[in-house]
Amino acid sequence: MLCEKAGSPRAPDLPVGKRVLKRFPPERAQPHLFSESFPMRVLARLNRFFWKYKRLFIPGLLAALVSSGFAIVVPIVVRMSVDSIPRFVTLYKSYQGTPFADALYAEFFVSLLFFGTVIIVLSLLSGGFSFLMRQTVVVASRHIEYDLRNQLYDHLQNLSHDFYLRHATGDLITHATSDIEQIRRYVGPAIMYSVRAVVIIVTAMTAMFIISPQLTWYALIPMPFLAVSIFFVAHMVHSRSDALQKQYSVLTSRVQEALAGIRVLKAYVREEMEATAFEDESRTYRDRSLDLARAEAAWRPIFLILVGSASIIVVWIGGRLVMEGAVTIGNIAEYLIYVALMTWPVAAMGFVITMVQRAAASMDRLSKILDEKPSIVDGDQTDPSIDTITGAIRFENVTFRYETEGATILKNVEFDVRAGTTLAIVGRTGSGKTTLVEMIPRLLDASEGTILIDGRDVKTIPVDVLRRAIGYVPQEVFLFSDTIANNIAFGNMDADSAAIEAAAEEADLLENIQDFPDEFETFVGERGITLSGGQKQRTSIARALIRNPDILILDDALSAVDVNTERTILQHLRRHYGKRTIVIVSHRISAVQDADHILVLDDGAVAEAGTHDLLLSMNGIYASLHRKQLLEAELEAIE
Amino acid sequence: MSEDTSNETKGIDGPLLRRIITYLLPYKGWVALAFVSVMTAAFLGPLKPKLVQITIDRDILTGDLEGLQGMIMLLFGILVIEGILSFVNAYLTQWIGQRAIYDLRTKVYRHIQRQPLRFFDRTPIGKLITRTTSDVESLSQVLSAGVVTIMGDLFKLIFISYFMFTLSWVLAVVTLAVMPLMLIASFWFKKKVREQYRETRKQVARLNSFLQEHVTGMKIVQIFGREREEMRRFTDINDSHRQAHIKTIFYFALFWPMIDIVATTALGLIIWFGGLNAMSGTLTLGVLIAFIQYARQFFEPIRNLSDQFNTLQSAMAGAERIFGLLDRDDSLKEPEEPVKKDKVFGRIEFQHVWFSYNPDADPDDKEAEWVLKDVSFSVDPGQSLAIVGATGAGKTTVISLLLRFYDVQRGAILVDGTDVRDLLLTDLRNQIGLVLQDVFLFSGSIERNITLENPEITMDQVKAATEAIGASDFINRLPQQYEYDVRERGMSLSHGQRQLLSFARVLVYDPGILVLDEATSSVDTETEEVIQRALEKLMEGRTTVAIAHRLSTVQHANQILVMHRGEVRERGSHQQLIAQDGLYRRLYELQYREQEQSISA
Repeated sequence: MLCEKAGSPRAPDLPVGKRVLKRFPPERAQPHLFSESFPMRVLARLNRFFWKYKRLFIPGLLAALVSSGFAIVVPIVVRMSVDSIPRFVTLYKSYQGTPFADALYAEFFVSLLFFGTVIIVLSLLSGGFSFLMRQTVVVASRHIEYDLRNQLYDHLQNLSHDFYLRHATGDLITHATSDIEQIRRYVGPAIMYSVRAVVIIVTAMTAMFIISPQLTWYALIPMPFLAVSIFFVAHMVHSRSDALQKQYSVLTSRVQEALAGIRVLKAYVREEMEATAFEDESRTYRDRSLDLARAEAAWRPIFLILVGSASIIVVWIGGRLVMEGAVTIGNIAEYLIYVALMTWPVAAMGFVITMVQRAAASMDRLSKILDEKPSIVDGDQTDPSIDTITGAIRFENVTFRYETEGATILKNVEFDVRAGTTLAIVGRTGSGKTTLVEMIPRLLDASEGTILIDGRDVKTIPVDVLRRAIGYVPQEVFLFSDTIANNIAFGNMDADSAAIEAAAEEADLLENIQDFPDEFETFVGERGITLSGGQKQRTSIARALIRNPDILILDDALSAVDVNTERTILQHLRRHYGKRTIVIVSHRISAVQDADHILVLDDGAVAEAGTHDLLLSMNGIYASLHRKQLLEAELEAIE
Repeated sequence: MSEDTSNETKGIDGPLLRRIITYLLPYKGWVALAFVSVMTAAFLGPLKPKLVQITIDRDILTGDLEGLQGMIMLLFGILVIEGILSFVNAYLTQWIGQRAIYDLRTKVYRHIQRQPLRFFDRTPIGKLITRTTSDVESLSQVLSAGVVTIMGDLFKLIFISYFMFTLSWVLAVVTLAVMPLMLIASFWFKKKVREQYRETRKQVARLNSFLQEHVTGMKIVQIFGREREEMRRFTDINDSHRQAHIKTIFYFALFWPMIDIVATTALGLIIWFGGLNAMSGTLTLGVLIAFIQYARQFFEPIRNLSDQFNTLQSAMAGAERIFGLLDRDDSLKEPEEPVKKDKVFGRIEFQHVWFSYNPDADPDDKEAEWVLKDVSFSVDPGQSLAIVGATGAGKTTVISLLLRFYDVQRGAILVDGTDVRDLLLTDLRNQIGLVLQDVFLFSGSIERNITLENPEITMDQVKAATEAIGASDFINRLPQQYEYDVRERGMSLSHGQRQLLSFARVLVYDPGILVLDEATSSVDTETEEVIQRALEKLMEGRTTVAIAHRLSTVQHANQILVMHRGEVRERGSHQQLIAQDGLYRRLYELQYREQEQSISA
């Protein structure tokens, strides 16, 4: 990402002014542990996806059924083989010595081989279907994740500028990544585990009850405890890992701040104190880690003791029943496998509940974004017959504030620019220049007053027609991590390489590009070369010029280039004089002095207006600015 | 922030691993205890099927109810002990590991903090944050579970084999025959999944950076009407992300059934061979049932071992980066026999100082990139010096050198006649109060920002200082007054308010020398008056070196130094310099005359 506030070396003297990020309090209020209706109501929004991917879900859930069915037969075969052994042994002994014995041994050999083979075949079948189950249900969850993320991004693109002023980038990324992941776990794994768990538990219990209701009751005693304790431990693990995550950010920002303020720390000899404070935060982090470790360590004894005691109960009660002759030794082996089979599904029920809760909380956050309405869109006022723009701009008594009772950023601004002429705006940092120009492409709408383009209310012009006619060079240069050519062609996708080169030439960037390793194909940003502030600005200008716009807006777009380059670019722009309206915001008199009309903004209001000569003769803000810049140039020249 | 945290596979490097392990040495008693506990658990687990075998053959088949009950009690007892031990193992290893991690983290942090400013000029903060956070974190698995767990799992395998062989060597061989399959499956899976994870991570990173970039640059996307095209590109990236995950699902979908099939194959073989042996009378039913359980017990330690192998590999990369940082120490040399000073009078002297930010600049090379060239001046105790000049004249460098943020290449800087290099850094800096142009505030309360968490400074002192500075008015109007959170970098305060806080900071520390880099940005007239009065208060009785942007500061300075391109061009008082009609005169016109107009107006 290339993002830089080019220009103005002065730190803006705005405590909470300009770009205040009004962050909503983090809405992480966890729904109550057992409130049933909330998760289901929120998650109902996802039901259409189940329908959409029914071709994956239906076979997948059937595969889950079949796979569990095969798995449940294995213990039965084990019991049959174990029980057959003593029978055969008795039989074999009574025929020992007779020729019959060999035949018996052969038959037994075959039947045991058969049992062994059946077990292996059953597990192959069960495994095959469980493979199919994951390949459908979990895959479907990835499709849904894909759909949801596309939907979110599409929606984000439609939301207006004001939405982005209210939401931190980091939060939006979190919605698009971790919240969607939480939801995916619900539509995929959670559903899969539940189906599988229900099937295994029901069928295994049925099989067990048929053999011996008494043994079954005893063997199942630990199971509910297992599900309930897993649920609580899972809950504990989640809340503690959230707490750990929070402390991790605290630790990270502590280091970040300390290192950013290292001059102050060193100047005031506070290193030792800061190191101690860092140690305190590290210790808290360690303690949070150990809180989590305790909860995680609890898994093991829970599993071990509950599952282990189920096995011991089977041996104990089963042993007594064997003595009474009610069941066989084979049944004990069979039950031991059933208990092992049921462990994971029962535990999964505990996990699934937490998964559903977390998914619901994520879905709730996501829904708030998805339900947000874009504030600047074509509406009833829009006149679809408008498809071209000439470029006359007129502000009638325009006032702007971010919120109804917020501070006024622009006060009763009035001006009139004929198509094809140049308007220049000067003024101190924070005087409202950027806000003013952002209203032309309708990034913001006026709170009061009217903006007219070609004599028509800007709100009647279709948004895409308006923006297509505008070339905009923002104050904060923003380029994408892509090639130079693509960054320039961003302004006009249909541009061929000749057009890209022409735009680069006009922005006085061509020579620079020819020095780059891959010329126009050079990557900029993290994966490529780092451009200087001036090169970035000129790329940004080329991107606007390639649109061949009817209105060109340069918001302090020449601050990082030297005076000579500025002059060259301005000369290039003058070639289009009369055919293109130019709005230029600048701190430099040299960039604005030739404009047809100059506005001097002060504290949101127009303080002075007129041509360069007129403003100089007024001997006000503009004239003093002019004087200072002459002196600066003079100092600059001293060797 | 994840510039180079890629935990790419590396071989396991012996010396590096040993160096990691040294961080466990302070806890060797606890490590030994964990070892004993892990071993005991590794023995008790495999003991249970053996006991089940005994009770089946000895008690159940013979109808000995008492024997059965006794054995059940024993089994429950073992189970409870095993449960407790498993908790102790998991927690104790973490307890040790987290302590070692804490030691390492604070060591890394202290090391970084000790480095001179030159180090911070060339190292991005993000990189240093990564070292203290995620790189250290990558060692936590090795230092906690690592070694002890690996031993535990190995011994568990050995104990299982031991019990199996003593019960029936034929069945033991049969069962162990599938073990290579299990090993191959586990390690094959880990390898595939690791490769796939690398791809997945790449796709996740692509997706995140696309989102990051486009959410930040949404304005550009919208103004340029690129929504449709960007949506198409997002869909592409999202699709690659989905494909990478779907591939990973394939391996998981294959792995779990595979493990199950291998375990069940062992079961099938046990039934077959076991049955035949039982027939010939060499095997009891109890043994058969015990083997059915052993066949399932085998898998867990094998899976753990392949996990541990992985974390060990990823820890190597992090360890290498951390030790690389620790092994290079550039901190400024402290004098061997420091000159002790009880009280500073505040005489400052620069003697023919030459300085370049390039540490290797040759002192005799006149062509090197000198930021300061032969700068000399002196300030008497209690006097004030104003430095003026255009951007890039070297003004800020002068104050950085006075605080010994850097060492000079030629010449000397003296405080009360002693070279700053002969003083302890703490002694030197304790005598200097620094106010930077861009006031740096830490997130936290107003009080924290004034005291900088020095416990020796009392609340009364803080209140007195803010009172004297004229900051108490605005502080008392804030919601929590001195407890008010100024937020990151003092976001919730105005520029003027931040300046006043940094003045109060100087006042509570009460240094003999004040170093001031005045802010250029304008504040409203009312605040300006408060600030000017505060400055007068601050300068009272202190030697002051100021980079002046205020007319009042230059007018009241005892001496003005006019710098241009690293050299002192003019010096004298305001009146003298104005009369000279040189550089100062122009600077005055540019920077200060307007203030005169606005004051007179």
